[in-house]
Amino acid sequence: MPSRKKVVNIPLGSQHISLLEPIRFQFTTENEKIIEVGADVGFVHRGIEKACTEKFEWKKVGYVVARVCGLCAITHSLSYTLAVEKLLGYEANERIKYLRMLMVELDRIHSHMLCLAHVSENAGFEAMFMQIMADRELVMDIQEAISGNRVQFDFIAIGGVNRDITPELVQLVHKNLDLLKPKIDDLMERFTNNWSLSLKYKGVGVLTYEEAYTYNALGPLARAAGLGTDVRAESSYFPYEEVGYEMVLESSGDIYARNIVRLREIYNSIQMCKNIVDNLPTGEIIEKVKGKPDGEAIVRVEAPRGELFYLVRGSKKNFLDRVRIKTPTFSAIPAMMEVFKGSEYADAPAILASFDPCMSCTAK
Amino acid sequence: MPTHKIEIELENLLTEIAAFYDAKVWHFITVNGIDLGEGKIELQWIFSKYAVKNEITLFYTVTKYETKIPSIVSMIPSATLSEREIVDMFGVDIEGAQKGLYLDEDSLTMPLRCSL
Repeated sequence: MPSRKKVVNIPLGSQHISLLEPIRFQFTTENEKIIEVGADVGFVHRGIEKACTEKFEWKKVGYVVARVCGLCAITHSLSYTLAVEKLLGYEANERIKYLRMLMVELDRIHSHMLCLAHVSENAGFEAMFMQIMADRELVMDIQEAISGNRVQFDFIAIGGVNRDITPELVQLVHKNLDLLKPKIDDLMERFTNNWSLSLKYKGVGVLTYEEAYTYNALGPLARAAGLGTDVRAESSYFPYEEVGYEMVLESSGDIYARNIVRLREIYNSIQMCKNIVDNLPTGEIIEKVKGKPDGEAIVRVEAPRGELFYLVRGSKKNFLDRVRIKTPTFSAIPAMMEVFKGSEYADAPAILASFDPCMSCTAK
Repeated sequence: MPTHKIEIELENLLTEIAAFYDAKVWHFITVNGIDLGEGKIELQWIFSKYAVKNEITLFYTVTKYETKIPSIVSMIPSATLSEREIVDMFGVDIEGAQKGLYLDEDSLTMPLRCSL
């Protein structure tokens, strides 16, 4: 009997109706099951690492790296600032740490909501996409009120933060997060019980516990597979234990688990933000830091998509010797390619959305 | 963040990493390059320990631009993009790492070489 196997090569991207980011996959499919994957990730390379050492002096680099990514700008400027402060022998006071932590956790909430909106859209829930994006505005409004900007905050500066939080802003944080919580309850109900968002995605796009280790998975992707890694628990740049941080773990490693991890992390971040503004230590919001960076510093920060890594080397000059940026999506791509293998081609857009890829970060 | 910096000879890279790396203990972060000028580059392989606060191990070596560099992808599959990035940015030759991640495959530029 002749073979009925039909092998077809299908490109997806770099511009495609179901893709949100400029990435190109080359799928080899056998009867619509993906058997091989190639990925091209460099469409938006901007040479930021080079600019950080040749175009901009070290005091301005924090503003440059915030432009690596619009979604997690705050974690980029935080990582760079922490690295430079380490080289200058400076450690921020508790108030500065709390204010920085607040903005990072707000950023996590809105970034996770954006991912959930895209996952909904991929399942055919276009109205739900719009609803989540509208609800997300509650967080964007807080960010804008605190930092002055919705996206490129430039809130974190070397030696502190650029704006303080007032009692009115504390009230706004509570009010908007209280309004947000029932909306997340509603989302949790839908992502848990709606057939298209739960049963359809259970067992699809699975990254196993073993594969998570093998491919060095990170962030929600790893935690959905049961790998207990989170830079918030593995570093001490912020006092996360004081504000109620809890690591969220699921075990099935599929699209469903990744959605649930993000929803549970939103709950945890909401609680942390409320605890932060209720227990803000006193102190200056910005302090004078003297000197020029000398030596090498490594910083890891938990961005919404996982570990963000910065290595900064300076030699007491105005220009740094090296700024190395390793972003979470860059590290997740090998795991992503593994997950695609064995999956149905029709599920590829949904799997991709569940990874919450950021190509602006990846190509930098 | 305390970093254990370990200098290695390039010819011992694979045996050193093989002896050190346990995928369930160490998280591979990235490969890094730093151009030192005068035809030399510092290469770094960086790891963090799971579930332990602030523990980083960094292997490094200084070598010449034209030296053939072994690949760790057979031990750590997720290193593939990091190695390709270093090849693109510094114009070095890492075994099996194809140029063209960010630049054109036939590009002659090496953006992170300080001499260029």
